[in-house]
Amino acid sequence: MLCGIDLGSRSVKIVIMKDGQIYRTEILETVDFYRRYGRRLEGQLVVDFDSLGLGKLDGLVATGYGRNTLNIAGATVIPELKAHMLGAIWQLGLQDFTLLDLGGQDSKVIKVQKGRMTDFQTNDKCAASTGRYLENMAAVLNVTLDELSRHSENPVDLDATCAIFGESELIGRIIEGYSVAELAAGVNHAIFRRIRPMLSKLLSETVVFTGGVALGGALKRIFEQELAVRVVVPEYPQLNGAIGCAVYTREARNKHVAGN
Amino acid sequence: MAEIGITTTVPVEIIMAAGHTPVDLNNIFIGNPEAAKLTDVAEEAGYPRNICGWIKGLYAVVINSDSIDTVIAVTQGDCSNTHALMETYQLAGINIIPFAYPFDRDYDLLSLQMDKLVKALGTDWDKVAAVKHRLDAVRAKVAEIDRLTWQENTVSGRNNHLFQVSCSDFNGDVDNFEQDVDKFLEENRSCPEGQEDVRLAFIGVPPIVTDLYDYFERMGARVVFNEVQRQFAMPVPVEDIVEQYRQYTYPYGVFGRIDDIRTQIDLRGVDGIVHYVQSFCFRQIEDMIFREKLDVPILTIEGDKPGKVDARTKLRIDSFLEMIR
Repeated sequence: MLCGIDLGSRSVKIVIMKDGQIYRTEILETVDFYRRYGRRLEGQLVVDFDSLGLGKLDGLVATGYGRNTLNIAGATVIPELKAHMLGAIWQLGLQDFTLLDLGGQDSKVIKVQKGRMTDFQTNDKCAASTGRYLENMAAVLNVTLDELSRHSENPVDLDATCAIFGESELIGRIIEGYSVAELAAGVNHAIFRRIRPMLSKLLSETVVFTGGVALGGALKRIFEQELAVRVVVPEYPQLNGAIGCAVYTREARNKHVAGN
Repeated sequence: MAEIGITTTVPVEIIMAAGHTPVDLNNIFIGNPEAAKLTDVAEEAGYPRNICGWIKGLYAVVINSDSIDTVIAVTQGDCSNTHALMETYQLAGINIIPFAYPFDRDYDLLSLQMDKLVKALGTDWDKVAAVKHRLDAVRAKVAEIDRLTWQENTVSGRNNHLFQVSCSDFNGDVDNFEQDVDKFLEENRSCPEGQEDVRLAFIGVPPIVTDLYDYFERMGARVVFNEVQRQFAMPVPVEDIVEQYRQYTYPYGVFGRIDDIRTQIDLRGVDGIVHYVQSFCFRQIEDMIFREKLDVPILTIEGDKPGKVDARTKLRIDSFLEMIR
């Protein structure tokens, strides 16, 4: 069994692969994960795999936030963008596409040509284009993320540069009497406008959309309408990075076997 | 003899010819082990949060100094925030001598600016020429450090950065600085060739982040070209001092810089470019021009306050190096 772990800022994603198929998946809150399963031993994070109940592993590959500040004992650590690219290729069998991953505090755009990363852009100092903005807005509207991510029609205008001030802006719109659907559509369009400059520079005919934010349908529709591209959401958008890790293990092992 | 602060590279020969000691305020700021606290000093005085960290540091360095009472402020060719920096210095009773690089590189205008500086400091052109010859000899040695960096691969990106960036004020003491350079060159003879598989160019202003170069090297990459720092060291010897500061690319338009960058990345076999930008700096806009005009992959890194490379930036560097490989 091969294991891929994506240490995200909001959640830790774990994928176990067996015989080239996804065998088991876990999504855990980041803070809970470290508190319950991690402990420091000689400067490294040791994850108690027994208590996770994952069974005996033949390979472990990790990526994600924090990979530079701690190493998972016994794991191969790979760059995050590579993990996401490998995950998308494995899930969809595509070789030429632009990958858009909207995660908890990250937004990443990766251009993939002939199965290789040729360019990328990520948000840097601002999280207003990430899932965290959507979480905050959902909390203000008192709706679930699922509900928020359904609406794309008749958006209200939301222009605040800052994700935190965006909350008071949204409250201002609520007071003006807009419906939840219009407000939610406004939030989704606001994210789109922040992503568009990154995406436009690296656009392909096919955009693969991953990360927790891809679970809802509204942003996919907005991207398709506004950018006139095909947007594909793979079966496991949120697990894409962890899948990429597990696939990397398999690739590395295959190469190792072939090398012998 | 007084210590005269400078906000960026100016014709330092003139300051020395007048018998004064130039002090690059940037180097004093970033060389302070508690540099981050200096930006707090500026914010407590009223500098807005969303203003460049360098400007705040420069403000605090002078306000906290007992020895600097005059600052040459570059009002054209560096950073427009310098205007307000200059005014807040004046508010604190500091003498200001403005200096402007003409945007269009006009020889006569530059010559006039330098002449005004000569008169303001009470020196003459003969003395300036003598200092220039002295400095050119040291600059030639620093150029050798730069050559060893990319051609012999025996100098780290960090040392390349440090020696070149120090040429803005020669650390206030040319003889001492030259001894440091000689010592480094001597010790470097026994240095083995670097084994890094990725060769990087560092373009943009010097970083406020203190361990970037070390991180690149830990990840198997080395900076073999420091664009602006190399310009501070006046890499091409020119007899005419006005012409020298006209060929200096940094204070003029971005396209002149691009010509220089293109030439050097070809010469030095650069695999990727790191474009460093400062938070809230107008030069962030120029990133789009570099991306349009340069054919080598570019990673843009943004720094705000002094400190170590943050986890997010490390992650982006790792992915960039992976992409190049």
